[in-house]
Amino acid sequence: MSTSPEDVRRTVVEFLTLIEKLPEGFADDTPLYADGAGLDSLETAELSATLEDVHGSDPYATGDMPQTLGDIQAFFAAGS
Amino acid sequence: MFELLERVAGEEPGRAAVVTHTVSRSYGELLADARRVAAALTREGVGRLAVVDHEAPFVVPLLAGAALAGVEVTQYPPVEPDEVRDLLARLGHDVLVTDRADLSGLGARVLATHELLATDPAPSGPLPVDRPHLVLTTGTTGAPRGVRHDWSRLVRGTSRVAPAPGQRWLLAYGLHQFAGLQVLLHVLAAGATLVAPAPRRPREGLAAMRELGVTHASATPTYWRFLVAEMRSDGGPVPALRQVTLGGEAVPGPLLDVVRSTFAGASVSQVYAASEFGSTGSMRDGRPGLSVDVLDRGDDADVDMRVVDGELWIRSRTGMLGYHGEPPVDADGWRATGDLVEVDGDRVLFRGRTSEIINVGGVKVHPLPIEERVAAVPGVDMARVHGRPNAMTGAIVALEVVPSRGVDLEALRSDLRSACADLPAAARPRSIRFVDTVDTTGSKIVRSHA
Repeated sequence: MSTSPEDVRRTVVEFLTLIEKLPEGFADDTPLYADGAGLDSLETAELSATLEDVHGSDPYATGDMPQTLGDIQAFFAAGS
Repeated sequence: MFELLERVAGEEPGRAAVVTHTVSRSYGELLADARRVAAALTREGVGRLAVVDHEAPFVVPLLAGAALAGVEVTQYPPVEPDEVRDLLARLGHDVLVTDRADLSGLGARVLATHELLATDPAPSGPLPVDRPHLVLTTGTTGAPRGVRHDWSRLVRGTSRVAPAPGQRWLLAYGLHQFAGLQVLLHVLAAGATLVAPAPRRPREGLAAMRELGVTHASATPTYWRFLVAEMRSDGGPVPALRQVTLGGEAVPGPLLDVVRSTFAGASVSQVYAASEFGSTGSMRDGRPGLSVDVLDRGDDADVDMRVVDGELWIRSRTGMLGYHGEPPVDADGWRATGDLVEVDGDRVLFRGRTSEIINVGGVKVHPLPIEERVAAVPGVDMARVHGRPNAMTGAIVALEVVPSRGVDLEALRSDLRSACADLPAAARPRSIRFVDTVDTTGSKIVRSHA
């Protein structure tokens, strides 16, 4: 799958839906952790693996800690 | 093992000892071949050698003849010349017995198998005191190691095998594997017949069962899973087995159920053995794991077991003498097996290998219970649980599944998640992949790397 913002958003939304943590009104700047989607460390690890499987790389593997969907989209937009 | 061959040949020389799709060799013929090999090795002044032939009708007399001559044999797996060269260097072999044309020029003196078998037989005589044999480990956790045995100790493990000349045992392992040797020794001790298809994949094993009258078969759980899947796929008849034996890996309870229902007329048993400590006998009650009766049997027992910090330890009088290139071990002493176990009521249940533990953010996760749970989900033909490196937690539990033909993969993915939903968070598979097959080494699932 491509790394376009739309495809990355689809991957993240599908993942959050799968683990039943998709917040109402989820947006590009909704925090992924704590009061946002509330991902814990294992769920974040799973998101990392999912991004790698679907898009071929993921920001966590490079040492980044994206805080929002927008950060993840920016990682792919930068051509990583 | 020469003495086992000699005993049956003395009783009934024409009885079939080894059968393939193309040849049948009797006990008498193999005994004569073994004497030829012994004479040739003595004449050539060989003390140690490697064998790279894998057809049982040739390997059995090579092993027996070498034992008669007191020559240490190591059978190599069927590998390419570069790997043979590595093994020769690592194990210090300078004599190679083979009929393969691609193995000259590796720095070892080559003796042709067919020429050894064309020598005049050695006369009868007493067996040498030392009858060394070197077995390679399967190398599931690294490079294969040479495990030093003596035939007298190995044969001792067959002392309770009852005569059973009508049994026809499938050779599902290579004779370079310790499990293959165990099957061979059992067959010779019983005066039975070894059915040895080539290659030794489940497909050929299934064909041999159907066409060569196999009555008994011993193989790894992975092999049985493949064989059952193969049988379902081709729709052919279920072989009329009387005995199904599983070993070499922990045996999942759901697989026992599948095997029992598939081979309804067969007794189902499990064996627990390893290259280092030999065979420990079999469990015939059809339940997962071992009976707690195997623990703390006392000093008089040939095999005794105990649990130390969750790991099974064994003392065996049929086990190894040590590793090649290392100081001898206390052959009758206690050894850690590397198998993690848990005593649950009257059973000793296997939880995985110490080398297979997945460290998920500091939490140790055993793959086997997860694999068992997943394997019970309808639509799963095979499953492998392993650690997948992850920047967040060091590793996550990853699952590879071979789905049954025609299964809805998204529905199966959902079922897999549901089946694991009540596991501790660190043990839930965080990566699920559908694959055509899973990694195996020596017919065992490889779990120790991603």
